[in-house]
Amino acid sequence: MNSVDEILDFAIEREQAAADFYQDLAERASSAWMKDMLLSFSKEEMRHKGKLKSVKKGEKLLSSEQQVQDLKISDYLVDVEPAGDISLQDAMIVAMKREKAAYRLYSDLASKVDDPDVKDLFLGLAQEEAKHKLYFETQYDDQILRDN
Amino acid sequence: MSLKDLISPFYVWQRAFEKPYTQKHPIQERPGAPRYRGFHVNVLEECVGCGTCETICQNHAIDMVQVEGLEPKPGDSGLRPKFDYGRCCWCALCVDICTTRSLRMSNHYAWITEDPTDFNFIAGADNMSWNGEEYGYRRDDDYHLLRGERVKMEMLAPEEGLKSFEEVMKGYTEEQAKDEADRCVECGLCVATCPAHMSIPDYIKTVREGDYEKGLRILYETNPFSSTCGRICTHRCEEVCPVGHQGEPLAIRWLKRAIVDRVPRERYREILGDEVVENGKQVAIVGAGPGGLSAAYYLRRQGYGVTVFEAQARAGGMLRYGVPSYRLPDNQLDKDIEYIRSLGVEVRFNTCIGREVQFAELIDDYDAVFMAIGLNVPSSLRVKGEDHPRVLSGLQVLDDVASDKNPGVGKNVAVIGGGNVAMDAARVSRRMGANVTVLYRRRIADMPADPEEIHESQAEGCTFVTQAIPVEIKDADNPDQVTIVWGEAEMVADEKGGRPRPVLQEDRMHEETYDCIISAIGQGGSLDFIPGDYRDQIEFKWGKFVPGDYQQTALQKLFVGGDIANNTADAISAIEDGHHAARGIHKFLTGELVA
Ligand SMILES: Cc1cc2nc3c(=O)[nH]c(=O)nc-3n(C[C@H](O)[C@H](O)[C@H](O)COP(=O)(O)OP(=O)(O)OC[C@H]3O[C@@H](n4cnc5c(N)ncnc54)[C@H](O)[C@@H]3O)c2cc1C
Ligand code: SF4
Repeated sequence: MNSVDEILDFAIEREQAAADFYQDLAERASSAWMKDMLLSFSKEEMRHKGKLKSVKKGEKLLSSEQQVQDLKISDYLVDVEPAGDISLQDAMIVAMKREKAAYRLYSDLASKVDDPDVKDLFLGLAQEEAKHKLYFETQYDDQILRDN
Repeated sequence: MSLKDLISPFYVWQRAFEKPYTQKHPIQERPGAPRYRGFHVNVLEECVGCGTCETICQNHAIDMVQVEGLEPKPGDSGLRPKFDYGRCCWCALCVDICTTRSLRMSNHYAWITEDPTDFNFIAGADNMSWNGEEYGYRRDDDYHLLRGERVKMEMLAPEEGLKSFEEVMKGYTEEQAKDEADRCVECGLCVATCPAHMSIPDYIKTVREGDYEKGLRILYETNPFSSTCGRICTHRCEEVCPVGHQGEPLAIRWLKRAIVDRVPRERYREILGDEVVENGKQVAIVGAGPGGLSAAYYLRRQGYGVTVFEAQARAGGMLRYGVPSYRLPDNQLDKDIEYIRSLGVEVRFNTCIGREVQFAELIDDYDAVFMAIGLNVPSSLRVKGEDHPRVLSGLQVLDDVASDKNPGVGKNVAVIGGGNVAMDAARVSRRMGANVTVLYRRRIADMPADPEEIHESQAEGCTFVTQAIPVEIKDADNPDQVTIVWGEAEMVADEKGGRPRPVLQEDRMHEETYDCIISAIGQGGSLDFIPGDYRDQIEFKWGKFVPGDYQQTALQKLFVGGDIANNTADAISAIEDGHHAARGIHKFLTGELVA
């Protein structure tokens, strides 16, 4: 995985896998409203995929210097099992943690390559994932931690 | 007689040889005195369009009119005063009374025009040469036609309050209530802001006149929980009261209470009526909280057969099981609920939809269903160690207290959260003799709890530690205690304009041990009982219903409201949702729209 296209294909596949993950969880969801919620998460991932596809066609990714705010909400939350009877709070924790893991992955990959263009692309992708994490953290802050 | 007086008539002749003032040769304006009462100036951004200037003007020289580009918003009617100088006598009463001090006078006094209709203008909006004039009449700082101080209500001293669950606020005497009602300028800005659009100036007038029966009838036009709301309403109306611009806003909530406190429950049916003309249609309501029972009241009045399904053993929802009796005594909540039930509203207690009765049965058996099931599932901290037995939920603690059970909080308590549940859990713990520390992730100004409750919690001795984020719960040395690890937070602005976000500072951690930790960080709803078959017909977002017009869902028989369907999560919004849904159900079933 060296060329820019290869890396983007990898990232696009990962977004598709995330969308499939929520789709699958939605199918197993025991309640009607959680099914809807998880499908909306799946749609969010498909939006990310769409974004990366446009990047492949030449659209600009977030610059690697642009730092995205890290609210660190997910850092101290426990891991939860993505089961069919998952609650809204737990589903959001899963989502935040997945985005955080993706951010880590791209940051790690960036640190392991020498080619400055490739490094920059990985860092850009990491920022993109940080943005997704911020989205879920903000929602968690507003919806779950309403009184805190 | 002095010599000057003697020759003064001859001075007049001197004028006869001067050039006359005409339109062609206008007077050379000399500047008016610095405090001259000349033409009006209004600072448009400060004016709130309350119309008090219009009301006080004895010559009817002021009309409140729309101004291009100014939209109404909370606390601002969007209207501005227009002056008719054919009528104005420059008495400056309007300037003296202006609630915001936006209205002033310039020291300009000459205005020459051929068209007499020109002498009508909107001060501050129309382009006049005296706009922005530095000199002219202003109201003095210490001169007030309006009384800025609110009439104080007797309350239990904090140390007394802590001894029992007795109601803290004692209510106004008749004289105090009249005195407070006298401060109202009757602008009606509050009506637009009240979620239920109660006729506030009208009921305040009944307090002034001592006509409490009329007052009660006005209250019930929009709110069948008036005794409750007269005590614990979030009183958003008061935030926009223009009298508050130069002093304290009217105590609107207390004036509502002043009416209800003066009418005994036994007289409600006689004053408000009890006649119901059955229309043969049946409506099911899920949840006997303020949302459900408000819908029940207005539907019953329209002649509907109303059955309320309630999972708990008593009615009132969170007002019963959440709000403690030192803020809302049980008998006051009962006063509201008993009258509603006395009209023939049937409540089936201990009947949970999804357990005793299924959702589909309601949809099949009733002409319409209104669902106001509230938010009763506490969010958990989800930090390591949270399942420690000394971590209690705020809702559970309050529920225990409401049910005369001892929640066993111990002597040293940490409450996590900054909403109503947290404040009440803290104050309840204080009443049980505990030292209480409230840990909150943001600042006091960001707390969603009512500022008065925050203030009273502090007065009762609760300690607030703000910008504190819990990260772990651990066993303490003593098995009856628990240790919390929390880190300090820095606030960062939200890029999208939302509330500021706290960010954990990992190098500033603290550890503290308590007898228990009460978690009150927020709560969600439980919608699991809705079967998948209905999924496509009901819209949900972030664990709540998304209602359409008149609180209706795409599953046409289903109407939703209250905490489970709005973002304000207070009693008055639930009450309005219930009223609105009742209108919607009537429209849905008969095609008619009622007020
Ligand atoms: C501690 C605390 C303090 C508060 N303080 C204030 C305050 O000072 N001012 C203010 O305006 N608001 C306050 N609130 C908020 C206020 O209580 C709520 O906004 C209001 O009660 C919401 O009304 P509701 O009818 O939507 O729901 P609720 O009052 O929650 O009532 C819902 C009812 O539905 C029942 N129910 C739920 N599911 C089912 C089911 N499946 N089947 C049958 N029944 C069901 C529940 O048992 C409950 O009785 C406070 C809340 C709490 C918890
Ligand atoms: S009294 Fe003052 S604030 Fe109210 S409408 Fe008149 S000018 Fe505006």
